[in-house]
Amino acid sequence: MKAKIQVVICRCCSEVPALLNTDRLAMLATDADMVVSVKSVDAVCDGKDLAGVMGEAKEKEVDRAVVLACHKRDVAPALLRAYKRAGVNEFMIKLVNLREEVVLPHQAQPERAQAKAEAMLRAALVRSVMLQPRERQTEEMRTNNVVIIGAGVSGQAAARAAAKAGAHTVILEKTGKTMKAPGVILPHSQLIGAKGWTGNYTLTIRVGEKVEELEAAAIIVATGGGWTELKGPLAKAVKDAVPLYKLHERMENNDLPKGPVVVVDTPDPAGKTLKVQDYAWDDTLETVIELKKRAPSTEAYVVFQEMRAFGLNELAYKEAADIGIRFIRYDKAGAPKVDPKAPAKLAVKDFAQGEVLSIPFGTLVFASIPPNKDNEGIADALRIPMAFDGGIRRGSIQRGPVETVRPGIYVCGSALFPKSRELAEREGEMAGSMAGEFVKTGRTSYGGSVAEVEQEKCSACLTCVRTCPYEAPFIGRASKAEIRTELCQGCGICVGICPSKAIELHHYTDDQIMGEARSLLGGDF
Amino acid sequence: MKEVLIIGGGPAGLTAAKALVDRGDGVVLVERKESLGGMARELTCKGIVECRNCGVCLAVDRANDAVRDGSAEVLLLSEVSSIVREGERYAAKIKTSPRYVTDDCTGCGKCTSVCPVEGKAIASPTGSGIPRTFWIDRNKCLHFKKGKCVACAEACPAKAINFEDRARNLTRKIDAVVYATGIDPMDACEVSRFGCGILKDVVSSVDAERILNEKGELKRPSDGKAPKKIAVMQCVGSRTVKKGVEYCSKFCCKYATKISQLLLDIDPEVNLDFYFMDLRTLYEPQDDFKAWAKGKKTVRLIRSMPATVNLGQNGKLLVRATGETDTEIAETEYDMVILSVGMKPSGAASELAKSLGIDADGMGFAKASQELEDKGVFVVGAVSEPMDIEETAERAVATASRIHTKEGGA
Amino acid sequence: MADRKPKVIGFVCERHGMEAAVLSARSGKQHDASVRLVEVPCTGRVDGIHLLKAFEDGADAVFVFGCLEKNCYYDTGSIEGRKRVGYVKQMLEEAGIEKERLEMFNAASSNAWMFPKAVEKMVEVAKKLGPIEKGGDGQ
Repeated sequence: MKAKIQVVICRCCSEVPALLNTDRLAMLATDADMVVSVKSVDAVCDGKDLAGVMGEAKEKEVDRAVVLACHKRDVAPALLRAYKRAGVNEFMIKLVNLREEVVLPHQAQPERAQAKAEAMLRAALVRSVMLQPRERQTEEMRTNNVVIIGAGVSGQAAARAAAKAGAHTVILEKTGKTMKAPGVILPHSQLIGAKGWTGNYTLTIRVGEKVEELEAAAIIVATGGGWTELKGPLAKAVKDAVPLYKLHERMENNDLPKGPVVVVDTPDPAGKTLKVQDYAWDDTLETVIELKKRAPSTEAYVVFQEMRAFGLNELAYKEAADIGIRFIRYDKAGAPKVDPKAPAKLAVKDFAQGEVLSIPFGTLVFASIPPNKDNEGIADALRIPMAFDGGIRRGSIQRGPVETVRPGIYVCGSALFPKSRELAEREGEMAGSMAGEFVKTGRTSYGGSVAEVEQEKCSACLTCVRTCPYEAPFIGRASKAEIRTELCQGCGICVGICPSKAIELHHYTDDQIMGEARSLLGGDF
Repeated sequence: MKEVLIIGGGPAGLTAAKALVDRGDGVVLVERKESLGGMARELTCKGIVECRNCGVCLAVDRANDAVRDGSAEVLLLSEVSSIVREGERYAAKIKTSPRYVTDDCTGCGKCTSVCPVEGKAIASPTGSGIPRTFWIDRNKCLHFKKGKCVACAEACPAKAINFEDRARNLTRKIDAVVYATGIDPMDACEVSRFGCGILKDVVSSVDAERILNEKGELKRPSDGKAPKKIAVMQCVGSRTVKKGVEYCSKFCCKYATKISQLLLDIDPEVNLDFYFMDLRTLYEPQDDFKAWAKGKKTVRLIRSMPATVNLGQNGKLLVRATGETDTEIAETEYDMVILSVGMKPSGAASELAKSLGIDADGMGFAKASQELEDKGVFVVGAVSEPMDIEETAERAVATASRIHTKEGGA
Repeated sequence: MADRKPKVIGFVCERHGMEAAVLSARSGKQHDASVRLVEVPCTGRVDGIHLLKAFEDGADAVFVFGCLEKNCYYDTGSIEGRKRVGYVKQMLEEAGIEKERLEMFNAASSNAWMFPKAVEKMVEVAKKLGPIEKGGDGQ
């Protein structure tokens, strides 16, 4: 079947003809092989102009189009929808950005610009002839489950937001703690495996002693931080150090600590075992201030390297200092130590004074939200990458703050990076809302511009399997690579790296890319 | 489907707009300035090969989304004059000032080059503001002051100048208001001992970011040469009881450490001294920047708040500061000094805010509250407390989801 | 032959790569008309063969322009793109062709100066080195 191409030349109101001879472009298009319709319009983003184009597209039974206009992201959505109604597959439309690639940047080179535009039209026609129609598939979500791993502050907020959006929430909490949250809460439960793709995951979970399967349309990792014990030399000397959250709990039960209270900023001040030494100063300062207010005669010291009281929390730092809490800065060379023979004294070299202070203490408190040790198992089960500091890695800022590399799997709170409870709650809200809105659609889609392996050419080298960020390629029954369409994001990384050239990316095949490149390089301008 | 009025087109307003549009709600976004992006548009991307997670492109991406998605009504050069309760909803009156330049503008800049006014009456949006259409400030423009000049209209190849553009008064019925008026940078010159305003090569961090965003390299304002020795000073005007504010602006260490890394990317031989009080690198372990600095032979981290910056020899700047342990004083010469300034909330104490029931606290922050949200008024972003772009975006989506799922009307 | 215009071609990703190019154009930044652009979904899609073929088809200089590393829309895509450029640079050197003719650039969507700078750099290389000489000892 011979192609029937419609060429649309948009004047971008008046900007394009200001530099280019659009009539000549129209003429070249009309004379070109397989072009059955040429429309010049003022603004392809204008409804009336668009209607005229579509009318002729239907009349001439056009099966593909080359549109010379502006940036794809500005004009494509409406254009593709209109063409779809006119019976033209969305993957058969080639957009050429004359405005931002030619007209705007080549103001001082009008002749070359004209020749370049003509070359771009020719190259687009070459590409257009090679295009194939593609269809995206949609699949019903089997459930509207949003599964949340972790019932902490962030996980609970995520559950509430997802439930409000209409999802059914299931919280997997590894301890037996109870809390109020919508949906189902499974205590003593852990994620051990996962299969499937966005919208239709099947999780393997352990609840108590039993191993079960659980369907999930979306997953939120809210494992929080892992409270640890003291590490290193300090751990050997002090046996009853209290993590901050425990101090907080005790104070809530009116069990005030035995003074003097010394708070160290990290469980391992000598820094040999922990690389990440950061936590929520908001909560720490709030707790010591409350302690000092309730027991003014108790001496309180905060021993730290960097006073990371961000934002308005700086005022809490000031308040703490004003009410008599003593702040002592140290650096690694003078890190706090406790002599096991004199276990009630903390020796630390004050950074500014240079003197070693000896602080008698009744209670040693340490605050830290290092990464949760469970993250590794969860990342492994979900097949998502971790951050090098032990948290769960987000995809990229471009994708969004709470999205992991896999679409449909979100991460929030201290599982991402140590943060205050309040911000962890907001992040949970964001992740829950996004997961809930996605699940509400009830459908997931994939396909279209996706990769496909030509099995005969595959040498099963596993390069694609190792390279794909989404784990779409796998070695199938024929001992050759196959691409799971449901997981394929259409990036083409596997295609570009395959040493056997066995993989093709539909809509961006080697022939299409090189054909367009060759045609452009053939142009004389 | 709710109709939401968003006051402010910065990271908070833009992210909330996208989140609401994605959830099927109607949005009217009102931005006071000539383009979208808020404070973020003045800032530079801090990566050359590797992303440094500063969040600036997040704001630009959301601005592009707002303009491209036809469903959000974006009003630039606009201000909300009043919002009054009307039964279950609100009626908002919005005044749109004329731009005098149409969408045909190609950003070529010929108009600016022929504009006879000193300081230029017609100019492009600052920084990476979206859209890139130029605009005329009628308070500066001779055509409006004297009635004659048409230099820009004659020079414009796209015929995009329209002196007939008029102010418009619009009314919109809405169910909720998002108050996201954002921030202004602190004035570095408030802290006068650093020579700001007097010594040309002492610049604020915002100005340094503007220069880097525009050109991708830093040049001394005095002689246009590339600086070979730079001092970056943190907490200028923040964490102080004297000139400035007591609070910490939260994002300055994050941005300044990344600017420092960018400057070393651009010129690996540049000497950089980073003066700070506490290293508050947001969302990154405190040791990371220290490890990076250790790996670079020409970077020093100096825990000290400098006392003065004066003119040194041969046009250099002399920074006087104590050493880290307060036991000695050092005087060091630099080609350029970058003062990291914090932020002040903007628009929290306006008449409009008051009419909505928003109280500005003593430091000028507008506090969000359950009471306000029950009434349909949602305060979000750095106008409520110091935060960086990433946190702003998160809170904005959380707010949008609360608006979307809120029962009943305002 | 002396007035043959330089031929430069760039493979640009459709995410931040193209956004940066569009922002620079809309900001009035100008660049030489010698450059052609081919849009790819991700610079990771770029294959060594595309780059080599481009030289064979007459390109004097070739560049790849993608998202910043660690901020790639497809996670590791632009890191892969840079790897591809790296391998082909090696191949060019082995073939006796100046490896400066091929380069990789990264930018975020807010960066209006990186794209024109990349074009400027590659056009300069193309002008300085001229077309690749065919025939003789190498082919």
